[in-house]
Amino acid sequence: MTRILALLDKDVADLRQNPSLLIPAVLTGLFSLLLPFVIAIIIPVFADERLSDSSDFEIVVETYKNQPAMRGLDPEGTIQAWIFQHFLVLLVLTPIAGSMSVAAHSVIGEKQARTLEPLLATPITTFELLAAKVLGSLLPALLLTAICFSVYVAGVVIFAQPGVYRALFTPASLGIVFLLGPLASLAALQLAVCVSSRVNDPRSAQQIGVLVILPIAGLLVVQLTGSFALTGPVIMFIALALLGVNTGLMLLGIRLFDREAILTRWK
Amino acid sequence: MLTASHLTRRFGSRLAVDDVSFELVPGEVFALLGPNGAGKTTTLRMLAGLIEPSSGSVRFKGDTMSPQTAPRLRGQIGFLTEAPGLWERLDVRRNLLVYARLHGLPKPNQAVSQALETFGLLDRANDIAGQLSKGLKQRVALARTLLHKPSVVLLDEPTAGLDPESAREVRELVLRLRETQNTIVISTHNLDEVDRIASRVAVLRTRLIAFDTPAALRARLFGTRLRITLGQAAAPFASTLIASGFDDVRADGPVLSIAVSNEPSSAPLIVRSLVQAGADVFSVLAEEPRLEDVYLRLLENEDQSASTTMNGPPAA
Repeated sequence: MTRILALLDKDVADLRQNPSLLIPAVLTGLFSLLLPFVIAIIIPVFADERLSDSSDFEIVVETYKNQPAMRGLDPEGTIQAWIFQHFLVLLVLTPIAGSMSVAAHSVIGEKQARTLEPLLATPITTFELLAAKVLGSLLPALLLTAICFSVYVAGVVIFAQPGVYRALFTPASLGIVFLLGPLASLAALQLAVCVSSRVNDPRSAQQIGVLVILPIAGLLVVQLTGSFALTGPVIMFIALALLGVNTGLMLLGIRLFDREAILTRWK
Repeated sequence: MLTASHLTRRFGSRLAVDDVSFELVPGEVFALLGPNGAGKTTTLRMLAGLIEPSSGSVRFKGDTMSPQTAPRLRGQIGFLTEAPGLWERLDVRRNLLVYARLHGLPKPNQAVSQALETFGLLDRANDIAGQLSKGLKQRVALARTLLHKPSVVLLDEPTAGLDPESAREVRELVLRLRETQNTIVISTHNLDEVDRIASRVAVLRTRLIAFDTPAALRARLFGTRLRITLGQAAAPFASTLIASGFDDVRADGPVLSIAVSNEPSSAPLIVRSLVQAGADVFSVLAEEPRLEDVYLRLLENEDQSASTTMNGPPAA
């Protein structure tokens, strides 16, 4: 554990010296934060037309008006709550996309800087090295999630109708942000670190790691179409599946990490 | 202490190291010489437990290096890689502190402060590693290599690219390490450096061409010679010595070079013969061919041997 913390501490210190690695995260975060506000608040103001005036949202109001978190809201508030609740999934993408560049550089970066060989010459094991590298990307991701969620809630409290914010504090919403988000991030980052220890170019790792984003984006789309809902049991099932995936990815990472190939074949 | 036994390493079809064996003792500075691609770094990596031999083994204090034992054994080995490998955005202290913790030192901050003091880096502790000169980076890398007080130190070209002053600092450090009974393996192209610090030398070209003390290698390849400077032209005195039973005598200006079988007993006899013949003897020195000559001769011999093997023995 000491060795994991030592390397983690180094990675965090390194990231603080090179904050530009987090630019993609900030940009994705801004996009994820702004998009629901544009749809639910800004467009209706500029179009001078309430969302509830559109017949497209009638079904949303009918379906959700009796949900505990939306009780007492008028139709406009119900639609806003529905939009802000569903776009939480998009918020989950922020830390993944943001930390992908950090994870993709994790092993290749050490090799390119010629710091990997002295590191491997210490008693550190492959598990400790990979765990430190994954955590080094995950911690900024989790911090970003917390910041984005706080800003999101504050924005909803300030700009949406009173009471809409309650939709963000249902068990399902919190499960998406604080359970599925970190587990999906962990899977994506582990995948990127695995790939980072097998390829010679960080871009390859980044591209492959981003593949994890596709199912999450798909989840957002099917949710918005109403054909699928992230209820409590569904969230628990996905969380368990992600836990299995993460365990498998760690074992795979240890198996794939080939010290010899990294030291002797990478240029 | 550290034993390499029939170490062989292949990379695909390429044979990088072939059947290399040696045993090192505490307090020894062992130099690995050889041209580029001779397998020096591969040998060091096998000794450090970073890569496994295709066959053969490394034994360290009675333990055989294996994937299972390597993490533990690496904790007693210090490996200075060819590049300093510092985290360039972090300061010197932080670079060392990470390694102190990776090695599980009980008081990492104290160990780092001690290393900074030992290596004269206290005033540079807060400098960003990327902004240091090459010599200072190498000094930090050496401090990192020795932070956990390893009993075996592997140095891969430690003075490559350093200015003479920095290179001398590294050499002095190696000599200090030898005094504290560390076993040091040094891979280098700097033969002058090897001559100054190595107790034994191995010349490697995939396989071990030679392995002995520098003096023994010199004697084996060039024999023992005395160099005598006279007060007059040396040529007339060459025949005197040949008549006294010395077969190989060369004269060059006022200097005589004489092959001897036993330097201590031959010198008085030669000087006596020369003085009796009327020569003014200014100085008598043991003639030492440079290690570079020894090294090049070894490689030449190896080339000739390989060419003979390929073409078959010469026709009678």
